[in-house]
Amino acid sequence: MTKSALTRRQLFKTSILAGATGAFMGPWTHNRVYAASSDKPIKIGITSDASGQYANSGASDRRGMAMAIAEFNEKGGVLGRKIESVHIDTETTPATGSRVAERMITREEAGFLVGAVSSGVANAISQVAQKYGVIYCNTNSSSPTESGKNCHRVKFVWDGNGTNFAMAAVKNAVEKFGNNWMLLTNDYVWGHNTAAATRKLLEQYGGSVSEEILVPQGTRDFSSALLKIQQGKPDVVAAAIGGDDQKSMRQQVAQLGMGSSPAWINNQQDWPDVYGLPLENLFGVFGTTWYYKLDLPGVTEFVQRYQAMYPETNMRVPGNVFYNGYMATRNLLAAIERAGTTNNIAVIKQLEGHKMPAAERMQHHDAYIDPVTHQVQQSIYLATKNAKPADDDDMFEILNNSAPGDVMDAGAQDECKLESYDDTPTFDA
Amino acid sequence: MMQLAPHLLNGLTLGLLFALIALGFMLIVGVMEVINLAHGSLFALGAYFALAIIGADAVAGTTFGDWWLSLPLTLRFVLATAVAPVLAGLVGMILELCLRPTYGKAPLYGLLLTFGAALVMEELIRLGWGTGEQNLPVPQAINGAMLIGGLIFSKYKLFAALFASLAILVVWLFLEKTPYGAIIKAGAHDSEMVRALGYDLSKLRLLVFGFGAGLAGLAGVTMVPIWGLRPHVGVDVVIPAFLIIVLGGVGSFWGAVIAAILVGLSIGITGAYASAWSIMSIYILLIVVVGFRARGLFGKKSALEN
Repeated sequence: MTKSALTRRQLFKTSILAGATGAFMGPWTHNRVYAASSDKPIKIGITSDASGQYANSGASDRRGMAMAIAEFNEKGGVLGRKIESVHIDTETTPATGSRVAERMITREEAGFLVGAVSSGVANAISQVAQKYGVIYCNTNSSSPTESGKNCHRVKFVWDGNGTNFAMAAVKNAVEKFGNNWMLLTNDYVWGHNTAAATRKLLEQYGGSVSEEILVPQGTRDFSSALLKIQQGKPDVVAAAIGGDDQKSMRQQVAQLGMGSSPAWINNQQDWPDVYGLPLENLFGVFGTTWYYKLDLPGVTEFVQRYQAMYPETNMRVPGNVFYNGYMATRNLLAAIERAGTTNNIAVIKQLEGHKMPAAERMQHHDAYIDPVTHQVQQSIYLATKNAKPADDDDMFEILNNSAPGDVMDAGAQDECKLESYDDTPTFDA
Repeated sequence: MMQLAPHLLNGLTLGLLFALIALGFMLIVGVMEVINLAHGSLFALGAYFALAIIGADAVAGTTFGDWWLSLPLTLRFVLATAVAPVLAGLVGMILELCLRPTYGKAPLYGLLLTFGAALVMEELIRLGWGTGEQNLPVPQAINGAMLIGGLIFSKYKLFAALFASLAILVVWLFLEKTPYGAIIKAGAHDSEMVRALGYDLSKLRLLVFGFGAGLAGLAGVTMVPIWGLRPHVGVDVVIPAFLIIVLGGVGSFWGAVIAAILVGLSIGITGAYASAWSIMSIYILLIVVVGFRARGLFGKKSALEN
């Protein structure tokens, strides 16, 4: 007769232990409730890059979040609770993003996560956030997949995406500059998706892509690519190059005097990537979601608040990255206030479909959070370098603006499959 | 072939610039057997010192500052190119003094210390010059574009490649033709014997580290008008420099130069035909070379291999 591996005594002990653990922790969907109490600050985990390719943009993103948090705290917080934040560097690396998100949720007890510039990092963070049901605001990463196939119930995307910017730019550029295009694409998720969106639209408007040059992330020498462009003689180069790579590219294109011929379409131009550079580095047409000299009510006061809060920073005026960080955080906190609770599902429901008047967002058109994709549908601006700047900071000339409906990413709506509320863990932060 | 020729020229210029980047790193590893992970930060520091000298940051708004800025950019650029590497070299010397307690211990101590120093220097740069992108201006005479075979090339890049060639030659002459170079090489070969002959080994190490750091600073001044200038620009330097000296054979001067040119050509040629592989190609090159010849192209045979 064989002896049983588990004795009656062991079984009894194990049952007691499991029961005690269960009684304390409760089923998973409620086990973080014990951490919440009415006098405890609401904790926001800031998941932005402080090193790597997007370190500078990450700093700008954080300043935006901090200003929104400071404004709410001045008013007494949200639901009578102060707002606290904790930041951990995501290092512009997806693996670090996952690790940081996990730590933010399980050890720092952050109830909400905010921040991203790199789409790869944002995707990694959002997978962890969804696992725990923690609302995550992707502030500044703009790959179409973020609100498409990589969308999540807990994730809200605040930047315009590559398709939005391509829709604003491609038709005009085909008509104005010609239909023979080359694509210069950063070899990672944002670059590929943005290039795919550009290619699709280009074909729709009668243009064609003669060649796509893939540029690995971390490229500092663009000579090979620029020689290939010269050899290919395209009418237009559509560049989806981001971060430090883009800065190096701009420097080298400007040195060669290739900024005006061929025509350049740079999908989106983040303000921290060009701030302080010579104007000749700012060639071509590019997209943005906001500019500090938009002639709209509230913009001047917003800039003044920024300057009062950050008198020491080298960046004297806020840009699109700061703006997105600020808007995301402010709207998240406002959603908690409207929900009257920090329960994640209640806050998600407040954010889904939420309408934001143009005046409130300091843009030309009303915006809203698409309930299907969780992406903010907003005004998209096309800009170029300002030939007659009013001062050193006045680098952009805004060429036009598009209403959200004109630049909507329909593909994302088809691809996004949000998890159900039931499949999303629920808790009170 | 006509399509490939400009890419070969581009690869060659890039290789010479990589050689300049690797030179200081090679010197410190070869002589002191310290893998200096702060090499990239010294590279960045050299560039920021040059920026401060050209823009007269410290004396802006004073009479001297105004007078300085009224001087031609060419003169300020030349002075910056001469002085900034010296300042980077002095920082390198301070780092060497900090490194002394690690000598004779496991290499990990030196690695950790230089890694920590790199982080400190990067943060100091952020504090001193801010986090944003900066622009190191270059004189008009070497700025802009020129046509070669109907294609546009950057004048500055060609100038930088020529300058790198000159710097390589000067360093080689210094190491081969001067008594100081002979002592440095002897120190790399057998430091105990050098000490026994009455040379101050501590001073030698201090000078070598300063010289290597100065070369890193010089590479920084030369490269940032092409790459752009930001506090973490040095991060882009350490891995290529390390790869080049392993490829060329640790301690081999010409090994490092030839390896750098091979790396440049590899990037240039793959950039023409399979651009997505341009960075990967240099790692493949390393694997192939080290796979067949573990000591690198020109590395000396180990006693264990006899």
